[in-house]
Amino acid sequence: MASLLADAFAVEIGAKEPWPDNVSLYQPFEVGQILLPDFAACLGVKTYLSMCGLNYELVFKKNAEHMSPSGKVPFMHIGPFLISEFDPIVAFVNTKGFHLSSHLEETERGEMRAYMSLVDNVLLNAELYLSWCQEDVVTEVSRPRYGSVYPWPLNKVLSWKKYYEERRRLKAMGWAQKTLEEVCEEVKTCCQALSEKLDKNLYFFGDNPSELDALVYGHLYTLLTTVLPVSRFAEIIQEFDNLSQFVSRIDSKYHSKDLQR
Amino acid sequence: MESVRAKEPPTTTPKQQPQKLKPVHRMLLGFTGKEDRNIFNQIPAHVNKVHVDGLEHTKHDIVIKQVKDVLEAQSIGEICVRAHTAQSKLRKLDIFKDIQFFIDTSKGKQSGTNDYEVIFEVEERRLGGGIHGEVGTNDGAVRTAFKFLNLFGRAENVNMEYSYGTKMTSGSLMFSKPLFENPDILFRTGGYQHHGEYPWSGYRTIDRGLLADIQFPSRLGSHTLSCEGVWRELGCMNRTTAFAVREQAGHSLKYALKHVFARDHRDNNILPNKGTLFTCTQELAGVDDKVLGFVKHNMEFQAFKQLPLSTVFQLSLGGGIMKPLQSGTEVSIQDHFFLGGPLTLRGFNINAVGPSSDGNALGANAYWLGGLHLYTPLPFRIGKGGFDDHFRTHMFVNAGSLGNVNFDSNMKEDLQRLAETYRLSYGLGIVVRIGGLARLELNYCVPAQVRQGDSSNVGLQFGIGVTFS
Repeated sequence: MASLLADAFAVEIGAKEPWPDNVSLYQPFEVGQILLPDFAACLGVKTYLSMCGLNYELVFKKNAEHMSPSGKVPFMHIGPFLISEFDPIVAFVNTKGFHLSSHLEETERGEMRAYMSLVDNVLLNAELYLSWCQEDVVTEVSRPRYGSVYPWPLNKVLSWKKYYEERRRLKAMGWAQKTLEEVCEEVKTCCQALSEKLDKNLYFFGDNPSELDALVYGHLYTLLTTVLPVSRFAEIIQEFDNLSQFVSRIDSKYHSKDLQR
Repeated sequence: MESVRAKEPPTTTPKQQPQKLKPVHRMLLGFTGKEDRNIFNQIPAHVNKVHVDGLEHTKHDIVIKQVKDVLEAQSIGEICVRAHTAQSKLRKLDIFKDIQFFIDTSKGKQSGTNDYEVIFEVEERRLGGGIHGEVGTNDGAVRTAFKFLNLFGRAENVNMEYSYGTKMTSGSLMFSKPLFENPDILFRTGGYQHHGEYPWSGYRTIDRGLLADIQFPSRLGSHTLSCEGVWRELGCMNRTTAFAVREQAGHSLKYALKHVFARDHRDNNILPNKGTLFTCTQELAGVDDKVLGFVKHNMEFQAFKQLPLSTVFQLSLGGGIMKPLQSGTEVSIQDHFFLGGPLTLRGFNINAVGPSSDGNALGANAYWLGGLHLYTPLPFRIGKGGFDDHFRTHMFVNAGSLGNVNFDSNMKEDLQRLAETYRLSYGLGIVVRIGGLARLELNYCVPAQVRQGDSSNVGLQFGIGVTFS
């Protein structure tokens, strides 16, 4: 509790300075190590920073997960501060004076928070379920990739350790007991809600992007483009045309240009 | 109960000559001195038999090996000395609760006047253990040990230990066996898990390892050869840990071959009056997938000389250097040398000398340390009896330096800089010996030479520990 207050206080003090030149974003190696949920999280943050027009340096570290103060990637190193995960990074960027959702009304902002919460509860957990509860994916993708950066015997020991940890967490949340069909249903419901909200607009809230757009893009792009033994989620998303178009639109606007150093 | 008997040698005539008994009476009346030992050595004696009573589970060959030297004795004095040596060898096996020996005249049919028998009475034990307190540098721990002894009859012991302390918690399971029936040559293997906290650098580690080592004596001193594989997990203690330390968080694997040579001829290991200590450690380690990671050398020397008026003079020197074997090998902070402490480089906070970042010490790959001490007895008497013996006042001068030496380029300049950027402190204080276990120092220190990044402690400094310099 004390550290939450200390963090908030420290961030308020840091807000006085402008965006520095040497901001770094740390994540695991993209080619051989990173897993589905982490990739989605990192992509969401990167898209958000690009949408704000902020510069940062991407640093790949095999121990990014352990370096992070909360144990999750990505985390940002900005001056003396270390901030990890999407919501805290957005809050920090806001204190620096960069807002994507300042044009929204109070009710719209509340709606945005609700949708972001939906995405976190459904899409993120679905990705975790796919990575750690589907046996094909676990043995062919998740465990080998997670252990690939460590020497023998650590690669085996650590990947099994992570497997047990993630399964225990999913069991506590009630997701490990679901079948693939149930999870697909939840994903479908979530996509339906998102699709209805997006409708024929460019972005979720009018013509300008917001945090929700970055977050949704991160998850949908990951699910659509990652090749896994089980590809049910990609098929579900593709049923919703406007979502697929949304993904390719943001991809071409914010990721074909090279905004990173 | 079984007993072990030695071979019976040829006999001689019974009954001592009267004049040889008088010096014995003289000794019994309280005279001591060199000439009595010589007298004892002049009384001829012969050992016919050596019995060891009380063996049930222990195999005979290992016991015979420890006691058979007693047969070689030529005089009474020698019998006593050899029997005493045999007793300590048996004690070193750690499988007997109690070992006593008796020297008796030989009563066999063919025994002569100068024939004796030596009888050892032992009580085997199969379980052992206990709870002891341990002291590290400014931290303490309680260690609980439980041992299964003498598993297969040749002093194979399994030792399970759990230690809970202020800065560390560890547990280990070790199997040990004397090799070649010699208790001085000990082979050990086992595994351990060790949780440690290092607040001066802001990290904590969990080390899980397997190790195998052999300890053996040589004419110069004792050697230990060990090989070890460790899974290390480093985590930051809190949010304020320096980023340079945070970058090393995570899991890594280290395997090492180590050789330690030690020669301790001091008369006491806490407050010596005379003697020397020399230890030398070499380590060849590989990290993660680099089999040849780095080579580490560490040396320590102490010499004590007794001067008139019960003062003792101490000189200590130490140094270490670490060289990566492939250029670009990153050496973990856990393998670095650290300097500073209330018992080593006094006047500086523990491990707080040298390169640092955001208040966390990073350590370095080379150091040197020296000290000069003058111990005197307390100027006043505290208690009765030998209580004052545990106290000394001492005046000291300590100097040392810690720094990184880059072997790829300008190595000479780095070494020169290591010598030039010395830290110096002097002062005086009281040293207390606590029960043969630990050394307690309360010193008033003046750090005369402090460099940037060091954390010094002017004035009173308290330290407790076992290793000192």
